[in-house]
Amino acid sequence: MKQKLNPKHFRYPKKHALGLLLFFLATQLALSQQKFTLNGYVKDAENGEELIGVTVYVKELKTGSATNVYGFYALSLPVGEYNITYSSIGYQPVVQTVLLNADLEMNVELPVLITQMDEIVVTDKAIDANVTDIKMSRNEINVKQVKRLPALFGEPDIIKTIQMLPGVASAGEGTSSFFVRGGSADQNLILIDEAPIYDPSHLFGLFSVFNADVIKESELYKGGIPSRFGGRLSSILEVRTKDGNNKKFTGNGGIGSLASRVMLEGPIKKDKSSFILSARRSYVDVFLKAAGEENSVHFYDVNAKVNWKHNNNNRFFAALYLGRDVFDFDDTFGFDWGNATATFRWNHLFNSKLFSNTTLIASNFDYKMELDDDAQGFEWTSNIRELTFKEDLNYFLNPSNEFNFGYHISYRSFDPGVIKPSSDKSLFTRTELQEEFALDHAFYADHQLKVSNKLTFLYGARLSIFQSIGKSDVYLYENPTDNIDVVRTDTLSYDRFENIKTFVNFEPRFSARYIVNPRSSVKVSYNRMVQNTHLISAGTVPIPFNTWAPTSYYLDPQLADQVAAGYFRNLKDNAYELSAEVYYKDIDNVTDFADNARIFFNQDLSTEYRQGDSWSYGLELMLKKNEGKFTGFTSYTWSRTERKIPGVNIDQPFLANYDRRHNFNIVGTYEYNDKWVFGANFTYTTGRPITLPSGKYEFEGYQVDLISERNGFQLPDYHRLDLSATLTPRKNKGKKLQGSWVFSIYNAYSRKNAFTIYTQNKEDADENPIRNEKEARLIYLFPILPSVTYNVKF
Amino acid sequence: MKNSLILFLFIGIVSSCDEPITIDSQIIEPVMIIEGLVTNVERNHYVRVSTTVDFYDQVASQPITDAVVSVSDDRGNIYNYVHNPTQSEELNGLYLSNIPFAGEVGVTYTLNVSARDVNYTATDELFPVPTIDSLTVIINDDEFEDPEEEGQFYEVLFYMKEPQKTKDFYLFKFYKNNKPLRDDDNDIYFSDDDLLAEDINGVPTAGFFNLQDTSVVEMYSISRQGFLYYNDLSNLLQNDGGLFGSPPVNPRTNLNNGALGFFQASSVESDTIIVKI
Repeated sequence: MKQKLNPKHFRYPKKHALGLLLFFLATQLALSQQKFTLNGYVKDAENGEELIGVTVYVKELKTGSATNVYGFYALSLPVGEYNITYSSIGYQPVVQTVLLNADLEMNVELPVLITQMDEIVVTDKAIDANVTDIKMSRNEINVKQVKRLPALFGEPDIIKTIQMLPGVASAGEGTSSFFVRGGSADQNLILIDEAPIYDPSHLFGLFSVFNADVIKESELYKGGIPSRFGGRLSSILEVRTKDGNNKKFTGNGGIGSLASRVMLEGPIKKDKSSFILSARRSYVDVFLKAAGEENSVHFYDVNAKVNWKHNNNNRFFAALYLGRDVFDFDDTFGFDWGNATATFRWNHLFNSKLFSNTTLIASNFDYKMELDDDAQGFEWTSNIRELTFKEDLNYFLNPSNEFNFGYHISYRSFDPGVIKPSSDKSLFTRTELQEEFALDHAFYADHQLKVSNKLTFLYGARLSIFQSIGKSDVYLYENPTDNIDVVRTDTLSYDRFENIKTFVNFEPRFSARYIVNPRSSVKVSYNRMVQNTHLISAGTVPIPFNTWAPTSYYLDPQLADQVAAGYFRNLKDNAYELSAEVYYKDIDNVTDFADNARIFFNQDLSTEYRQGDSWSYGLELMLKKNEGKFTGFTSYTWSRTERKIPGVNIDQPFLANYDRRHNFNIVGTYEYNDKWVFGANFTYTTGRPITLPSGKYEFEGYQVDLISERNGFQLPDYHRLDLSATLTPRKNKGKKLQGSWVFSIYNAYSRKNAFTIYTQNKEDADENPIRNEKEARLIYLFPILPSVTYNVKF
Repeated sequence: MKNSLILFLFIGIVSSCDEPITIDSQIIEPVMIIEGLVTNVERNHYVRVSTTVDFYDQVASQPITDAVVSVSDDRGNIYNYVHNPTQSEELNGLYLSNIPFAGEVGVTYTLNVSARDVNYTATDELFPVPTIDSLTVIINDDEFEDPEEEGQFYEVLFYMKEPQKTKDFYLFKFYKNNKPLRDDDNDIYFSDDDLLAEDINGVPTAGFFNLQDTSVVEMYSISRQGFLYYNDLSNLLQNDGGLFGSPPVNPRTNLNNGALGFFQASSVESDTIIVKI
């Protein structure tokens, strides 16, 4: 283990940063005395990955701090000699004695704790963070555990574990959308290395775009959302990929029943720079081709990242993600969709207290549908693009005061669709929908104030300034919400970057934590969120062909206010973490659509918008075990979510599609010995609300359902048990490869869980229609489904 | 995009199963259903009046036999309808105009139905329809290789010129040997002209044919209201339970006072071909 001790001279903060700070510092500066700063990065000794949330504790002062999301920490202390302890779950604590008489940089590497078993219990955060950290309504997803849990077709997927967290609901199996505290699927901001993913699904949601091999850390924010995040109402899912091992070349690969993966990482220059490259591809199409099938489908993901440390004050990262699904039917009809994101990040230390993160982000989501046919051939394309610049600053004034502030700006273009004829014989004529553009600025600041050893506040705000801009035409209508007799009265034309309408919203954020005793604490939070990108989907589960629209002339920003309170308690020496939270969320202007809205390729889509109210409340309980042979969590959620949309359901409130009264989950792994690890998931949830007929009638020979109430019925309860076993054979000496097998059984007792219900004309056993009779049929997806995945590390 | 398309794609990938399930029937007040059509073809036009029935009833709907039905136009003509003149029990609920008449392009027709002490009205304008240039027959290669029914691999193609200067909406009906023909029970063939170029050259019609079969293609002009009605009806018939598509909801109708159904005024263009090579 190496540590660098580089005393450095104090440098003044850059002018502009100082200006921003003055506001916060007015009171603090008066109190300042002769202090020096101790700061640095904490890393994993084995692979050089920066560690997030490591506790840095000053024994003499009984105070401390934790590393931020880039593994950086800073402490401002009076002159003196101190014993500093760096500790994190799964790592051996490191104690350093420092003599602080000047600013000091101390980079520390923590060795992995070698237990009898393996390193699976590693989660890099403070041991008692559940109680002591101010954050609430947050869940980390332990990727190493996800890899040992049973998985559909043996493909480990963090989204499937997220769907089992308290306060999170899913639309049933085989979907990648999730619903957080009564929010719809498009109210989640899904970030990979800070770049937004507009559609996280592969194969319509069977899998998510997140390849478990490259994930370093993932965390879901359901409430108490810090002011550095904005743009969506209900949650932030932040996924950070690995930086790449900067000590040695390693890699791993996996062969599953559906897809194969390979990942390589290593130093470019030892301890200075490293890379990681990972790819995953499904290969069902290969089998289909071999079987003479002319339809094919596949998806792939590529993640790449390089990082280099220019010097101690400047680090750079560049990350890329590319993923796509490709469907091809008989070489005549096909469609594909995918995300592409790029992130460039510069971490810079202005001085020992001021940490800066400058980020440039690009994100693109697009889809294409194509029919190759003389008479009816067409190509339909659509995309959403985003370019973002972010400047985020952390100022560590002293152990009791930490400031975060910054500025974000995004430029987005929304191209809802172009249809082109594939030849001049085609019946289609080239048709374009109106493109839309938006400029989104946000200023934010928050202050974490440790009032006493027991009481901490985090308060702040975000100012969102959203501009709908040209080049665009806005149609004026005789009645903007009449979708039957659409009468355009005028057209307003705007030039490139010309302002159409500006929306300013102030988003206060507040959290507080009070430590009752060393084992328990009480936390409360309030946050307001604003959402200016709206998904054009009227179903429960978004599909890739749904487009997005910005807040604009006819679409107001969606606003959510959420309050939450919780009790947090650790048991048995922090081995168990218990949390109980209640929340209430109120949404104004939630975007919905008129009954019978035509949301695909509608030139007058704005006449279909209906914005209304939504509210949700619930109780969430979670018990988590982080160490020992058995690890995992169990969660229970009671909740209720309703919507009231003008013109929908005769103006009456109705249960939201993602309303679930009860939701109970168990997720666990058990290390039997150093060869075998067993895993299990169990989930039980109330069925999805569904609209079913209350009668029928005949019209022109069609048998038509009579609908009387939105979501007046419920699907049957959903429950499912999955099992897994991971076999890691003992490694032979001298052999470089370490293989392991993951055996999974999905839906172990083969429950026929309802996916959805549809109606049809009743048929007899030979599929001949029975005159004048209808029936309802329940679709269920997977019976018991075993799978095997082979993984290898090298 | 069809509401159920994504669902069927999805369950196609994952190989799903389905089985009947019984829905708990709610007892609700029956709703009045009215279906009526006036065309530019001279004949006794019809109106059908009925009410909804329970989802599991073994009848299609409950006919109303004592309604008072008439159609008027904006030129002062009134046509009275009589209930089931042939007295055949199967045609209960069917009303026919007491005299034959032909609707005219540009005229707005109003339906009046008085049933169970409520008056229902609806209006619709009769728009022109272009001509069908021709029908042709080809062999569908996929069906030829693997026909669903023996010998049925001929496909009828359809040609027309879409007037680019007017806003047009179309409803198609296909017949095979004088019986209505749909690829699926719940298919409705309708279109607006938003995406259409002028030349419609060889668009396949529903179904596959044997040699010597008679294929009839009917093209109806419909109003925007009619287009929305068929669009909504198609979404309802093909809905996926609100999973990927929107939740099912009753179609928008031109009838008032809570009745469902539609009163339609159309020009009709028809063409016939005997399948041969």
